[in-house]
Amino acid sequence: MSDVNAIEVHELIKDFKGPFRGHSVRAVDQVSLQVKAGEVYGLIGPNGSGKSTTMKAVLGLIRPSSGSCSIFGRDALKVDSRNDVGFLPENPYFYKHLTAAETVRFYGKLCGMRGQALRQRIDEMLELVGLSEARNRPLRGFSKGMLQRIGLAQALVHDPRLVVLDEPTAGVDPTGSREIRDLILNLKSRGITVFLCSHLLEQVQEICDRVGIMKSGTLVKEGRLEDLISLRDRTELILEHAPEDLLTQIRNLVEVTHGAHLLSEAHPRTTLEDLYLDETRDHSKSAHS
Amino acid sequence: MSSFPKTSFFSPSRVSIIAASTVTQLVRMKVFLFLAPVALLFVALNFFELPIYQGPDTLVPEQQLRTHKNLCLGTMMFFTSLFAIVSVALIIPSDVEDRTLYTILCKPVPRLDYLAGKLLGVILVLLMAMLVMDFLLVVTLHHRTASISTDFGRYLSDLGFKEAEVARGQAELAKHGPTWVLQYGVMAHFFKACILAAVALLISTFSTSTLFTIAAGVMVWIIGAFQSIARDGLFVDSFAGETPSLADKILSTIISLIFPDFQLFESIADASVRAQEILGDDILKLGGLTLIYLAIYTVLSWFVFADKEF
Repeated sequence: MSDVNAIEVHELIKDFKGPFRGHSVRAVDQVSLQVKAGEVYGLIGPNGSGKSTTMKAVLGLIRPSSGSCSIFGRDALKVDSRNDVGFLPENPYFYKHLTAAETVRFYGKLCGMRGQALRQRIDEMLELVGLSEARNRPLRGFSKGMLQRIGLAQALVHDPRLVVLDEPTAGVDPTGSREIRDLILNLKSRGITVFLCSHLLEQVQEICDRVGIMKSGTLVKEGRLEDLISLRDRTELILEHAPEDLLTQIRNLVEVTHGAHLLSEAHPRTTLEDLYLDETRDHSKSAHS
Repeated sequence: MSSFPKTSFFSPSRVSIIAASTVTQLVRMKVFLFLAPVALLFVALNFFELPIYQGPDTLVPEQQLRTHKNLCLGTMMFFTSLFAIVSVALIIPSDVEDRTLYTILCKPVPRLDYLAGKLLGVILVLLMAMLVMDFLLVVTLHHRTASISTDFGRYLSDLGFKEAEVARGQAELAKHGPTWVLQYGVMAHFFKACILAAVALLISTFSTSTLFTIAAGVMVWIIGAFQSIARDGLFVDSFAGETPSLADKILSTIISLIFPDFQLFESIADASVRAQEILGDDILKLGGLTLIYLAIYTVLSWFVFADKEF
């Protein structure tokens, strides 16, 4: 695996100018993050926290007011950097007049794919996202979940090293959501880097190696998921072959409760959801109340 | 796995992919349905006598054919110009609103390729529509010319003209039928529609609504049709023979640079209706001028679009 980070965001600031030279709004403020090649990184935060703006800056859809974004060491604003990126926007809409196969073909061609290689790749992608049966159906008749899946197919058609997913399971039923989760894990197993934004914290917890939590345009917490959700002020012990005197004391306590067994003591964990809510809670409001 | 193949600054191949997709999009949107009323009008014109025509003795037959051509070319010009503006105004903002543009620009597609592809796609559909309308025009005009020529021949024979004189008269009349000169008029209107599509492309790069793009495009169309007359009237008093002031000259030049001048296109179309001789050089000049306008408006669109954030 290359030493170059798949994504490198360095002190990103993005200001949006107000109308008629009014006050500008800072959507992203001094955000720095790195996504290593091959890992699954989740960016979470409440609506308006700057996740999408950060994602768009990574994809070169917006120009940073200051700071920089790079993809595998290449400036994200350069078109070349997109050769290795697949992107699935939230609630994607594709050309409704195209069929599923035509849609994947169109995006494959845009990436320079042609001929037999492209035809084979279209079949593979439709198979991967479970749309082989619907390959000749126009997208106008597709459900939200099917559109999401065709979105994934187009994002992966050129075999990118990095896949950026914005709410990949939005509007998808639990089964479809599980399939997309499995697909992301499959990408991870193939060494493909995944950068995703999601509100489904349970899913993020399940699949992400590292997460970043954004609030009001800043990255308030970032790191390995395991580290973030461990509560270090508590200790969990699993007692086995413990000294008899210690065990006796514990047993004495346990024995007063009929049928109870003390098996372990360890760092208890919070959930990612609790961590998220804690980090994004408006502390000023809670202080007043 | 790939590792940053160099993406060319401009790729005709990518442009053609986007153009082909645009053609498919417009065709499947059933935009060619607008040809139905055009066809109906052309056919109707062919079978119904115009009120001004009461027979060969009341109106010169050439005038009858000129009126037919004028109405047909006017209809073609109106529909293609409107189609050029509306189609561009519909497809680019809808790509932004539907976020389809995100998925395209997140592929290795330079923004110039996207704009050029969309414009080329619309121009190709315009060309197809123009060819269909042109075919209808030629067929109906051929029928009309044959009918009027027969009437005219009979009329001249009744007046006692010799057969050779009748044939000469009919040959003169045939010049007002479906000739190559008429095709130059059709080409002039096609070129004009292409320029309007490029203008709509420029407007749609900074406009946030389809309605504004259409309204502004129609305004440019009207200004383009009358700007040379307006410039002469406002800035140069040609009747009084006055020399325009420097300010007038600058303002006049600015207007002519911002808005396309369709006077030359109209002149060629009018000449084709009147069956006047049109030099091949004039058509080449017109084609060159069209290419220059297309290049200017596409590059301007790119300047605006290159820094646009989504």
